[in-house]
Amino acid sequence: MSRRNWRLELPLHLMLVPGIIIVLLFSYGPMVGIVIAFENFIPVKGIFHSKWVGLDHFRYIYNLSETRVVLRNTVFIAFMKIIGGLFAPLVTALLLNEIRKKFYKRSVQTIIYMPHFMSWVIMAGILIDVLSPTSGIVNQFIEWLGFDKVFFLGDDKWFPYVLAVTDVLKEFGFGTVVYLAAITAVNPSLYEAAVLDGANRWKQTLHVTIPAIIPITILLTTLALGNVLNAGFDQVFNLYNPSVYSTGDILDTYVYRIGLASAQYGVATAVGLFKSVISLVLIALSYFLAYRFANYRIF
Amino acid sequence: MVLKKAKVKVKGSAMLSLLLLMTTVTACTNSDNSNAVSNAGNSPSASTSTGESPAATPGNSVPSGPEGKYDPPIEVTTVRSLNQAAELAPGETYDENIWTKTFESDLGIKVKNTWKVNAEQYQNKIAVTMASGDMPDFMNVDAQQFQILVQAGTIADLTDVYAKYASDLTKSSFEGSNSLRLKAATVDGKIMGIPADGGEAADTQLIYIRKDWLNNLGLQPPKTMDDVINIAMAFTKNDPDKNGKNDTYGLSLDNNLFNGWSGLDGFFNGYHAYPFNPTKGTGTSLNFIKGADGKVQWADVQPEVKTALGKLADLFKQGAIYPEFSVIDGNKSAELVTSGKVGITFGAFWVPTWPINNMYKDVPGADWGIYPLVSSDDQPALSQSMGGLPSHYFVVSKKSKHPEAPFLLLNTYIEKIYGHFDKNYHTVTVDGKDYGEFGLAPINGGLPGNNPRAAAAVQAAKKSGDTSALNDEQKNYYDQVAKFEAGDATMWAANKLWSEGGVFSLLGQYVDNKQVFTSAYVGNPTPTMIAKGPSLRDEEVKMLTSIIMGSKPLDYFDEWAANWLASGGQSILDEVNASGMVQ
Repeated sequence: MSRRNWRLELPLHLMLVPGIIIVLLFSYGPMVGIVIAFENFIPVKGIFHSKWVGLDHFRYIYNLSETRVVLRNTVFIAFMKIIGGLFAPLVTALLLNEIRKKFYKRSVQTIIYMPHFMSWVIMAGILIDVLSPTSGIVNQFIEWLGFDKVFFLGDDKWFPYVLAVTDVLKEFGFGTVVYLAAITAVNPSLYEAAVLDGANRWKQTLHVTIPAIIPITILLTTLALGNVLNAGFDQVFNLYNPSVYSTGDILDTYVYRIGLASAQYGVATAVGLFKSVISLVLIALSYFLAYRFANYRIF
Repeated sequence: MVLKKAKVKVKGSAMLSLLLLMTTVTACTNSDNSNAVSNAGNSPSASTSTGESPAATPGNSVPSGPEGKYDPPIEVTTVRSLNQAAELAPGETYDENIWTKTFESDLGIKVKNTWKVNAEQYQNKIAVTMASGDMPDFMNVDAQQFQILVQAGTIADLTDVYAKYASDLTKSSFEGSNSLRLKAATVDGKIMGIPADGGEAADTQLIYIRKDWLNNLGLQPPKTMDDVINIAMAFTKNDPDKNGKNDTYGLSLDNNLFNGWSGLDGFFNGYHAYPFNPTKGTGTSLNFIKGADGKVQWADVQPEVKTALGKLADLFKQGAIYPEFSVIDGNKSAELVTSGKVGITFGAFWVPTWPINNMYKDVPGADWGIYPLVSSDDQPALSQSMGGLPSHYFVVSKKSKHPEAPFLLLNTYIEKIYGHFDKNYHTVTVDGKDYGEFGLAPINGGLPGNNPRAAAAVQAAKKSGDTSALNDEQKNYYDQVAKFEAGDATMWAANKLWSEGGVFSLLGQYVDNKQVFTSAYVGNPTPTMIAKGPSLRDEEVKMLTSIIMGSKPLDYFDEWAANWLASGGQSILDEVNASGMVQ
């Protein structure tokens, strides 16, 4: 780089400095705290004087009878959510796109978007009533159809699916907006060309709209892979109960219950580290996939 | 609330580590300095506290006992947790209020708050403070932090200053009910902290029954556990609210299982079983009983628990318990009760103030009867209490120059609130609005048995018509009861608290008749309790829930009990037996 360029770019580099400092201070600095995962951390003694225990915390977690079940639940629930979170908004966006009445389209969009802003505490309160076998509207409908009532929140066979479905219900409006935006960006001349070739609405969707939004779809999905160990603490914590621990307990809620009692900083940090490592691998993988299939790149 | 805390807990670990990192770094660089300070600080404190050189210069004085004044005034530092919900009286702050002014003028002690944070952040901030080594002279910590501080050796031994500076009233507040509070604060024979609570069986349970339903069905209040079960069945099947629909339940229950509201503690106690391990509890505060061989056993695995569990499973099967209890929390079970669907609940003294407080006023005809626990046989039922052990302590820094100062403050607090009650220190009324003052005090304590005494005084005055013996606090309760009797339905809860047969009378009876069960183990959670407690708790609540709901047979209890012993229970028992904290 020539001297002249360097001088021209200097202000730009200076502008970066505050950002870098903040990142160093708040993102890299705390990483030193990772050592807590390897020691018997006592706050009064501090990070440098607590007893070093090596991999004891990891062994402790590994040996807990529930860990494997919890890990399986986490991945299963997160995976269902990723799949549901992919198709539900995509289909809704495609359908909404076909609606000509602007007012109707906007209303639907707003209404399905609304639950996204509700906290899980409120949603859980509503869901417990709605899904109740004695008085809930869902079970009354099921009974009217001639089926047996289902104890959605108390039956460990149903619980993970309830989690996935309610999560999709809450969040698909948000995803729909993203896909609608992508659809709006499709060049209208492509549709005109398709009409000239004699394509009906269905063929237009199939051959113009869908191929046009495939990159963003792949991108969103691959990036979601990094979240495979985040199955939604807020949601599960507010909906679960002892009778569904076996299928509904996820890593975050489990650590919360185990660590809550006793301020086991070491164990909590070890789990956090474990999650971070898995997430790092998955994010690296998904970035590679996104690059490969959607030509998405950051650098 | 719960959610918020949860988030902090899970996501806050990174943040916490940053804070800890930063503070530890400073702590390391400072450690040499602070040692020097503490050494320098210790020697003068020895001379001031023993009072060997009083009045070196004229006008100078230091207290040599529970009373007295510092001249020139001294400054002690502390830290505060702020209750956001509480409104402060105009002109009063956490830094300057009636308490701090009194401490300064009467004792010559200026209390300075080093920092103040919201109650939710207090625990974390204390952890950081502990890590930094920069402790105030005294501060409020929870039982676990207390233990950590004792181990770390950063807090002062208060044995001598307690003996010398605590007033008789203060001492009686710690030494009542078998000195339980003092014992809990004593480590290796040394008093290491000032218990902030505990010592009182205020969490014993009572039976609350819809009185109007009893009347509708022509039933008598329960005398035995069988009566309770029969009433619960009648409330379920016989349409107690006379609305022609089969929409009522007998016994209130939610997924926390043990609780001061719709918990099962009282039900188990009726069968002489004392399990305690709430779904949302820590899993480390457990009840132990002493066996015939002098060794402790865990209360939850006793055969009496199984008996009671069988009765509960039967009640559930017959429809007397809400079928979805495993899904609902305390708020939802409260909704069921207040909407007139449930007729019996076990609960603590505060149940009349929440959630059933407005039912008398809002639901025509609704009224609740309050009854002491009943037994399944001819032995009286003991009500279990976890309240004997303090949950919080005030600790004094080793570096503090005046380790006796907190006791002088506490003497004043106890004198103003319990000794000679002075309303100005409890509540002030400005423009017709009441503001709490007692919460502003930087230190606090309690006099176990205060409420039952007040209830007795109110009832005595009621009978004699002579209110002259009542202090302001008691007069206040007396007026509330009088208002209720004059037809003010909003005073229903106060009436249930203070009048004859009210909750505090019954609580007092438990204590007088020695009908309180407390754990045989008075120590803090052992290492295995901390490591295994939460997962063992999960197993237990799963077992209890599934047996009550009938998805597992009653005999599964035995399998679970054996499993408990094998997966950590035995080491817990060994640790407890070896602790020397068994009484």
